[in-house]
Amino acid sequence: MADPVRRVVSGAKPGTGHFEEFLANPARFMLRAWEECGEVAEFDLGGSTNVLLVGPAAHEAVFRAPDEQLSPSEPYAYMVPVFGEGIQFGAPVAVERQQVKMQSNALTPRLMRGYAEIVAGEVERRIADWGDAGEKDFYDEFKELVLRTSTHCLMGPEFRSKLTGEFGALFHDLEMAVSPASILDPYGQEEVFARRDAARRRLSEIITEVVRERRSGAGEHPDMLQSFLRATYTDGRPLSEDEIVGMVIWIMFAGHHTSSNTSTWTLVELARHPDHAEKIAREVEGIFAGGDELSFAALREIPRLERFLFEVLRLHPPLVTLMRLVKRDFDFRGLTIPAGETVVVSPYVAHRMPDLYPEPECFDPDRSFPDDVFAYIPFGGGRRKCVGNAFALLQVKAVFCALLQRYEFELVDPADSYREAMPSLILRTTEPCRLRYRRRS
Amino acid sequence: MPAAVPPPFVSPPVRIVVDLELCQGHAVCQEEAPTVFRVRERAGGYARVELLQAEPPDVLRAQVLAAVRYCPNRVLSILEEK
Repeated sequence: MADPVRRVVSGAKPGTGHFEEFLANPARFMLRAWEECGEVAEFDLGGSTNVLLVGPAAHEAVFRAPDEQLSPSEPYAYMVPVFGEGIQFGAPVAVERQQVKMQSNALTPRLMRGYAEIVAGEVERRIADWGDAGEKDFYDEFKELVLRTSTHCLMGPEFRSKLTGEFGALFHDLEMAVSPASILDPYGQEEVFARRDAARRRLSEIITEVVRERRSGAGEHPDMLQSFLRATYTDGRPLSEDEIVGMVIWIMFAGHHTSSNTSTWTLVELARHPDHAEKIAREVEGIFAGGDELSFAALREIPRLERFLFEVLRLHPPLVTLMRLVKRDFDFRGLTIPAGETVVVSPYVAHRMPDLYPEPECFDPDRSFPDDVFAYIPFGGGRRKCVGNAFALLQVKAVFCALLQRYEFELVDPADSYREAMPSLILRTTEPCRLRYRRRS
Repeated sequence: MPAAVPPPFVSPPVRIVVDLELCQGHAVCQEEAPTVFRVRERAGGYARVELLQAEPPDVLRAQVLAAVRYCPNRVLSILEEK
């Protein structure tokens, strides 16, 4: 391989650099940067120098680097007012690592068995009044469904039973504060940030109440909340009430729009590819033919549905940029990226490299994927890989197993009108995202 | 010359390779194969897996394969005899 060459992306404006173009659509800007510059593309977000690194070798170098060299805390400082001081990037890295472990402790296979049933039950309840046919905006529908399934699995039935429209609206206010603009200026968008802070305060009240009720009650609860109540740091200290609130907001936030948007894209692609949808529906039917419950074991092995989801996550990865501040000079195959710059890995670009994914813009669930963990990175990679990746896949699989057994779907609007949009940092479909459903005969 | 006697059939052990730089300590492997993997939390560091046996006997093959397959971070692999 030739030595990497660092090139500067064209079109920088005095003062703001590439920020305007980045803001308009980070995904397409990243793609243009790579197409123009190759594997090392420099761009300027109004004063900060960013270096997009593309290709499995580059991703591997980034994902293997220690936190002390490539640090996520600074580029994601705008998450601190969302999750809270003392949580995730608002805590020292040694504390944050233990908090992540507390989350993964609540996502073990033992607990996931229960989650699979809960998700299926929530979908059943949700579709009970759908009738034989109808039309819905599935951007909204999946937002609601994922919120219900996640709160029920992670926070327990008592939390779920209290779930009102308010909870979703509060999370919406949090999400709107995590826009590309907040990367540049976390204190510049006063109105949006005031709403975020109010939403966080209200969420804190709601969650604290549930935590106190849970503490005062008896019984074993096989969910994340119980895990958090029991969790201790390695020095024996338990999580404080405020920390539990922050952990809940963190995991709910991280798992909400990512999974709901992935579900929306999955449904759109199923409707665009009815032949695949039919085969997957038959696969699901076959698995549950004996009237079996939606079991964890079955959900782990649904090859066709799984391949379809992998292709959805290839083409439409919810997060399009992963950023790390260089704290110690970072070497990539002889090229040094100096301390003070930010390195960027983009799942969106990674999944569109034509030598790894021929005709990358074409949705093809039958395509073969490169056998390289650093070539396919919808959940990132290494020790900072999305901690909920297995839960997210389980959740989306369970949702579609339940839906596809009952209904078939078709697009309401012209197929090419369902496009990518990035009003926040999460890649989603344009709204409305209307589909018709009809009960299977 | 006595006729050649075939050696008694012994399945080769499973040789496990761990990529510790990628391990986040989920402990899925520990649930799948508790006699082979143990995840230990470390003050200040990432929790990570330890091998209780690097070459478990063939009877544990199915458990080990499940651990490899379901590792959320794809940290584990098996070195097959060539």
